[in-house]
Amino acid sequence: MGKYPTEPLKLWNKAKELRQKFYENYAKAHDKGGLRYAGGAWTFDAVPFGLGQDVYSLTSEPYGASCAYNKEFSLRCLEAAEGYGYARDLCSYMRNYWGSILINEYAFGGPFPRPDFIWQDHICCSHAKWYQTMSELEGGIPMYCVDVGVGAAPPFGQLKPHKIDYVAGQILDGIDWLEKVTGRTFNDELYIEACWNDFRSTHTWAKVCELNQTVPASLDEKTLYSLYVLATLSKASKWCADFYEELYDEVKDRASRGIAAVVNEQARVMSDTQPPWAFLKVFRYLEEYGCVSVGSLYTFGLEGMWDYTEDKGLTPRPMPVQRPTSREEATRMLVDWHLRKPEYQHFYSPEYKSKLMIAICKQWKLNGVMLHYNRGCEGLSLGIAENRLAIQEAGFPVMTFEGNMGDEREFDEARTMARVDAFMETLGIKRVGRA
Amino acid sequence: MITAGIDIGSKTVKIVALKDAKEIVGQVMILAGTDVKESISKAWAELEKTAGVKPGDLAAIVATGAGKGDAVNARRTVTEVSADAKGANFLNPEVRTVIDVGAEEGRAIRIDAAGKVVDFAINEKCAAGAGAFTEAMARALEVEIKELGPLSLKSTQEVAMNAQCAVFAESELVTLVHAKTPKPDMARAVHNAISDRIVSMVRRVGMEEKVMLIGGVANNVGFLDSLQRDLNTTVIVPEDSESVSALGAAVLAAEEA
Amino acid sequence: MIEMFQEWYQARHEYAREWKKKNPGGKVVGFFCTYVPEEILLAADILPVRILGSHEPQNVTEPHIFGMYCPFCRDCLAQGLEGRYDYLDGVMIAQSCLHIRQAFTSWQKHVGTPWSYYLPMPHHVQSEDRAVEFYAAELNDFKKAVEDWTGRKIGDDDLKRGIEKMNKSRQAMRDLYELRKRPNPPLSGLEAMYAAVTEQWIDKNEHAVVVRQAIDRELDKRDLGLGGKTRLMLFGSEDDDTAFVKMVEGSGSVIVIDDHCTGSRYFWNDTILDGDDPLTAIARRYVNRPPCPTKDWPERRRLAHVLKLAKDWNVAGAIVIQQKFCDPHELDIPEQRRNLEKNGIKTLMLELDVTVPVGQFKIRVEAFLETLSEEDLF
Repeated sequence: MGKYPTEPLKLWNKAKELRQKFYENYAKAHDKGGLRYAGGAWTFDAVPFGLGQDVYSLTSEPYGASCAYNKEFSLRCLEAAEGYGYARDLCSYMRNYWGSILINEYAFGGPFPRPDFIWQDHICCSHAKWYQTMSELEGGIPMYCVDVGVGAAPPFGQLKPHKIDYVAGQILDGIDWLEKVTGRTFNDELYIEACWNDFRSTHTWAKVCELNQTVPASLDEKTLYSLYVLATLSKASKWCADFYEELYDEVKDRASRGIAAVVNEQARVMSDTQPPWAFLKVFRYLEEYGCVSVGSLYTFGLEGMWDYTEDKGLTPRPMPVQRPTSREEATRMLVDWHLRKPEYQHFYSPEYKSKLMIAICKQWKLNGVMLHYNRGCEGLSLGIAENRLAIQEAGFPVMTFEGNMGDEREFDEARTMARVDAFMETLGIKRVGRA
Repeated sequence: MITAGIDIGSKTVKIVALKDAKEIVGQVMILAGTDVKESISKAWAELEKTAGVKPGDLAAIVATGAGKGDAVNARRTVTEVSADAKGANFLNPEVRTVIDVGAEEGRAIRIDAAGKVVDFAINEKCAAGAGAFTEAMARALEVEIKELGPLSLKSTQEVAMNAQCAVFAESELVTLVHAKTPKPDMARAVHNAISDRIVSMVRRVGMEEKVMLIGGVANNVGFLDSLQRDLNTTVIVPEDSESVSALGAAVLAAEEA
Repeated sequence: MIEMFQEWYQARHEYAREWKKKNPGGKVVGFFCTYVPEEILLAADILPVRILGSHEPQNVTEPHIFGMYCPFCRDCLAQGLEGRYDYLDGVMIAQSCLHIRQAFTSWQKHVGTPWSYYLPMPHHVQSEDRAVEFYAAELNDFKKAVEDWTGRKIGDDDLKRGIEKMNKSRQAMRDLYELRKRPNPPLSGLEAMYAAVTEQWIDKNEHAVVVRQAIDRELDKRDLGLGGKTRLMLFGSEDDDTAFVKMVEGSGSVIVIDDHCTGSRYFWNDTILDGDDPLTAIARRYVNRPPCPTKDWPERRRLAHVLKLAKDWNVAGAIVIQQKFCDPHELDIPEQRRNLEKNGIKTLMLELDVTVPVGQFKIRVEAFLETLSEEDLF
């Protein structure tokens, strides 16, 4: 008999189905004359929605993670990419993705479906280059990429008009480009609707994560991964926004009734960066100690939209007051919204991310932090050593473990579990078993 | 009341028996064979032979080390991190930084006055294997492993060797050999390289006086010299530096017996 | 005259300290990437000093930068943590790659240099006018920050002065590099490296004078017997490893041209006013310069540039100097190599760290040179 009551998440299966459908839709896009494109989790996916209701995407990073999850498939992909000449220390999602193209196998069955165009964003060194190479591997695909590296957002920096102009300008140029490349006329209504869905998805996801401040936490991070992924796939789609609103109701109910993800919860931690996808059992192992990872800046803020102030900490960013009424207005709102993304700020200084992480430690009532020194992603591991120092200085114990989100050859399971044991000992947490 | 700690490592098995949490009444170290269970039995037999202490006499046993799961008669297991901390604290309560350098793993641990772990770091991929590295270097220099340390103390000039990557360092050694660099200087370069890696790790947890060095590589006078220079401090090396983990486990056993 | 560059290279910190003594109240700003718009610093009579590593093993950066980031960025940070740049009044970076960015942000927090500035240099340089407009506005903010810090206004005339000073220095270096096109180059690759890298921390006027003197008085008739050597190009991440370059040339080659972060990319194009206001002209120069791979998309414009350098300087082969873990260049190198090889220029790939196994590399270089000279027989 555990300390707390628990229940499975009712919407669990629906989340899985939505994800499966997303990947099927991309593969089958041409069947009824639709279009398909490839782009990253941070791309302005609201924009291609303006080309019609039959435009489907394949999102880079979650696809890379899907490859990584299947160790045998992943190894073949990675070796293919390395055989082509790309170094092993490059982004492991990217190498899985390229490998999938090189061996011409789609992780969800069949040959790799070639996109009609590429619609991407760029903030880390690899983003645009990923697709430049993809285009080369596929013999040339029209590509457009929007640079978002304009500087930190409030409260860390000012989003001056010229910064919005630059990003919005690129998007508006990109819309003209999309019309040329696809031969379709851009529909501003559909675009505005997609922007609004984007705001809904990312706002609501933050609200879901906020609910995890309760003790016990009603969701654990391993579950969160299966839920947040939908926003990475297609935040600007209606189905994603609708699902998150449904999810919010269920999680609110769980939290209010004291339902626990880990029945013997006696300690709470957070992680950071993408997890080692082939070794999510680390989270199950934590449960032996009654320890729950309640989330991370990664799960909360990769897509979730938050406001941060020194005194209030992190709060879900409120929806815009009014829907935009024109293409230009929608674009500027979209840009302003996304430039404030929590996971953009550390690109300008680790100090900003440290503040956000410390806020999570306080607000989500954590005993400690587990940092994944992720060799597979330069962008999210950027500044992680300084984050570690700052979190410690703020009084929260930190453990680190080295690994790779997408290359399982770089993860030492036994050593990592030993470190978890040592960390639990330092926190004075004893094993209690899972149920 | 007698308690014991058993440290089942990859190369050796060590047992320390402690009376009333104060006095060491027995201590053994045997080479581990491929059969872990057999090695453990051998170690207990040795303890009985030399100190007259049997498992049955003990109020509690705590196991640590890579093979701790195989210690069937242990009440519980702890990681080497906690065991090192307690052992160092027992030997010298003024110690606040413990550096443990073994064959394959290096650890830096900061502890408080009670021997509790405050922070720890374990070597990452890029700072792999100090002990195993010295063995490889000794082979490359054609000296016995136990000669490597004293040899390095005879060095008259510092030669740089890459500290970040063990594979690069080995490559550089080959270059130095071909350039007819005097052996003592190369030996010193090897120790400086390992020390750089270990000190990088120590800096992650921060160094606080006093500092104690334990583990197999602690007996290497060349490494100790490099370490003390890099940290700019005197480092305490206990007599039985390889048994400190087992000692710490024995202390922990006493705490809960 | 040409040996001056080596002297400057070996006494880099002394130069800046002397400069401060000779220019009381003058400020020295350390910078981390060649995208920094020095024209604006020069307009304020600031001495810009490129921060580089010292090629020594160190153990101080581990708490600050995760070991998977390039050794170069850690070497740079180590210099700051060890106090070697304590004469700096300010430190800045123009946004390029992620790795070196960490050297800057950790420096900001731990090294204690009084003033710092993060300049968001755009990556979508191929968007041209969009990027130029954005960068001109950022440069305007930057200029104001420099004005606030120094307490003096920077007017258009000052900017024009800074532009002219930079251009003069760049032109001098291009003229120096031009001499290396000769079948018997009058200077070695090592000498050219010293000249190129010191341009990044010596007063630009002083440096240009020595370059000009060397060109006019010393190099024209100089014969180092390099006429028979195999002509090579170096390209890749960052390289100021003199031991490495010496070894390459000592194996029977001469390095005649380069494209890397401490070489020609620094001085390849000028700031041209052409009707623009000075800040827009400066923005345009940096947007249009030979790009860092992080800014070379969606088209790979670097391919044509590198190939043209190889052809114009008539190289037989190219050595890829890949800084270990450097992602931007790892993303370019496979296609660069394919492109060069397709055009008859063989390549050798070497991975660099702060120190390199010179002996092991020598074997590879010698073997590479042998394959190149085999071609000459037919």
